[in-house]
Amino acid sequence: MSSFEDLLRHPGLWLAREQGTGTQPPGLPTGFAVLDRCLPGGGWPRRGLIEILTDHHGIGELSLLVPALASLCAEDAAEGWLAWVSPPYQPYAPALAACRIDVQRVLLIRAQPAEWAMEQALRSGACSIVLAWSSSGDSSVLRRLQLAAEQSCCLAVLFRRSSGAREPSPAVLRLALEANHGGLTVHILKSRGGRPVSLQMGRLPDPADAMSGNTR
Amino acid sequence: MTAPLAGKHRVAATAALRLEPARTQTSPGPADDTGSRVGDDRRMRARAVRRELWLAVHLPQLMLESLGEAGSLLLRGGRPEGRVLQQAASPLAIVDQQRGSRIVCACNDSATRAGIQAGMALNSALALLPELEVRARAERRERALLEALAGWGLGFTPRVSLERPDAVLLELRGSLQLFGGVAALLQRMRAELQAAGLAPLLALTPAPLASLWFAYAGVETRLRRSDSLAGRLAALPIACTRWPERSLELLGDMGVRTLGDCMRLPRDGLARRLGPQMLQMLDRATGRLPDPRPAFVAREHFRAVRQLEPEVGDVGRLEIAATTMLGELCDFLRRRGCVIQSLEFRLRHRAAPATRLPLHFAQPTARHEDIAVLLHERLLQLALSGPVRALQLQSGPLTPARSETGVLLREARHAASPGDALRLVERLRARLGVAAVQSLRPLAEHRPESAWCLMEPVIRPSGTSASQRQVRDEALQQPWALHGTRPLWLLGEPQLLPGKRPDFGGELVLEEGPERIESGWWDGRDVTRDYYVARNPAGVRLWVYRERGPGGRWFLQGVFG
Repeated sequence: MSSFEDLLRHPGLWLAREQGTGTQPPGLPTGFAVLDRCLPGGGWPRRGLIEILTDHHGIGELSLLVPALASLCAEDAAEGWLAWVSPPYQPYAPALAACRIDVQRVLLIRAQPAEWAMEQALRSGACSIVLAWSSSGDSSVLRRLQLAAEQSCCLAVLFRRSSGAREPSPAVLRLALEANHGGLTVHILKSRGGRPVSLQMGRLPDPADAMSGNTR
Repeated sequence: MTAPLAGKHRVAATAALRLEPARTQTSPGPADDTGSRVGDDRRMRARAVRRELWLAVHLPQLMLESLGEAGSLLLRGGRPEGRVLQQAASPLAIVDQQRGSRIVCACNDSATRAGIQAGMALNSALALLPELEVRARAERRERALLEALAGWGLGFTPRVSLERPDAVLLELRGSLQLFGGVAALLQRMRAELQAAGLAPLLALTPAPLASLWFAYAGVETRLRRSDSLAGRLAALPIACTRWPERSLELLGDMGVRTLGDCMRLPRDGLARRLGPQMLQMLDRATGRLPDPRPAFVAREHFRAVRQLEPEVGDVGRLEIAATTMLGELCDFLRRRGCVIQSLEFRLRHRAAPATRLPLHFAQPTARHEDIAVLLHERLLQLALSGPVRALQLQSGPLTPARSETGVLLREARHAASPGDALRLVERLRARLGVAAVQSLRPLAEHRPESAWCLMEPVIRPSGTSASQRQVRDEALQQPWALHGTRPLWLLGEPQLLPGKRPDFGGELVLEEGPERIESGWWDGRDVTRDYYVARNPAGVRLWVYRERGPGGRWFLQGVFG
């Protein structure tokens, strides 16, 4: 019996039931080299909740994610939804299309509270990324979301007010965004496997311009 | 060591010897004789018939059995009740209106013991046994039981044929191997029928009509060779053919008692006296003529009603009752290899009109979990107008299921399956409403507010090839190449910015612009605007415009994100 157990421990064998509990897969490149260098997986973590804290919509929080969205659309295998749960404004389809985001895969979900829909989207296994704009910051809800994000293999991004920075959070990555002098400062408050740091991103390039420059 | 072996060999050899004469005796049977007479094609047909094996399941007590729950028990498995009626201590008779008087058509054992028989007038029966319980015949229930029997038969073979009013034919040749041979299969079928409280007569022969006649005659037989059919049928009384009474009387007057007597009559004379149909039936029963049978097609809907006793007032208990009904539905679908795309629950109240609870699925399904999850969401929103007395479930149209291949490796699964994608949409919509879950589409239009629309979420089949993808990418890119800077966010309605100079969380600094958009004079929503990219003191990049013309009000239309 013990020899059988030994056999199972052979590194060349994997068990079907242990699938998906292995090591953290490499991150999804953010499209910003400065940021990639400071994130443990070399990009957005594919498992676990990402929190982005900002008080203002429009300082560049979405531009930060556009390269990731576009690269998800470019991945041949993935055909999951790009879910937007309770966005503050209407995502503008022509601009998204110009950033090489497949707008047909965008799933707009109007839900109050956003967390329930976000959890459903994460657990469904049908999304490539779930973006959600939250109004509350209940810690038990955050734990549920983190758990759901950990079990699924889609990016889970939750936007919250910056007052949330004072409370502890189970998220694997927490960023606080701040606009200054026409540019964007990213404070990495918490990063599993990394360390807190503040980054001057400067002024983010217009996503559509950056995309067309990158590809052709 | 060698002696027992040798003995065994000797036994085997004698067995073979014994078999040999038996084989030579049976092969030039009467069927083959006639075959050589009527020519090659008829022999071919006879051989084709021989490849089939038809089981007749006859329920002699169908009228009594239909009073119980045998039909649903048969399809579900459970506690028998029909048997109870059959053997009930109190005498029971079923009565039908025939030729203007009420005639007993079936009665249970204790009534039979008192001397009551089928065909007796009700008055005579009551004279024999005043305490006799009398029930009217329920033909609808009889039909339902027979259809349930046929539905049960579909679990054993796809070729099922109804023989109204009280038998079902099943072609079993193709099922023998799966169910472990004739004996095992028949034993299992008999056990299942008896568990449902039925008392079946089973007869198996290569010809459907012969099986029926054996069963009608009450002879349970297992006959796998068609050449001995004629010989075995010969012993049956002619009444088992259920020919019209006049023909049977005529044959009786001629001294014909058994099918054997009937087959010995000259063929042309028989055809002249009784009509050609009887002769044809004889030929079919003996396997000389092919006997195609109409196939039984199972119901295209599922319908079930559950009486709730006592009435149910809370949603939680209602869900429990509904979920068990869903179990029956999913069983029903699984047996038929079918899926449904919609179903409807009706909650019947005592006074108020029934509450209808339709469920629609984005993707056809037969999975219990899928349906139960949706039902749960719908029940959460439900406000009951009163206690529920009965619960009715009706399925939408059935469509054949297509099986899906699973993926072994979880890593390969990060590509979401289309099924998952639609299930998510369905689930969210069940809770949030249809309008709350949408997809987007850009439109070729200069006015920003008209350059996009919401659309129904569509999932493309996965595994799009690279070339298809490139075509799509280009289609995606070409029309939407932006003419100027466009924000990622758009406001639902442009927001008026008060004051002479634009102000939104502080005075705006115009960074780019103007870009003039002048369009829509043809459809009454004419716009003439100068657009600017502006930044407010908080560092938010905004897309604002100024109406051209007198006044020149400022509006905020987009946020760059």
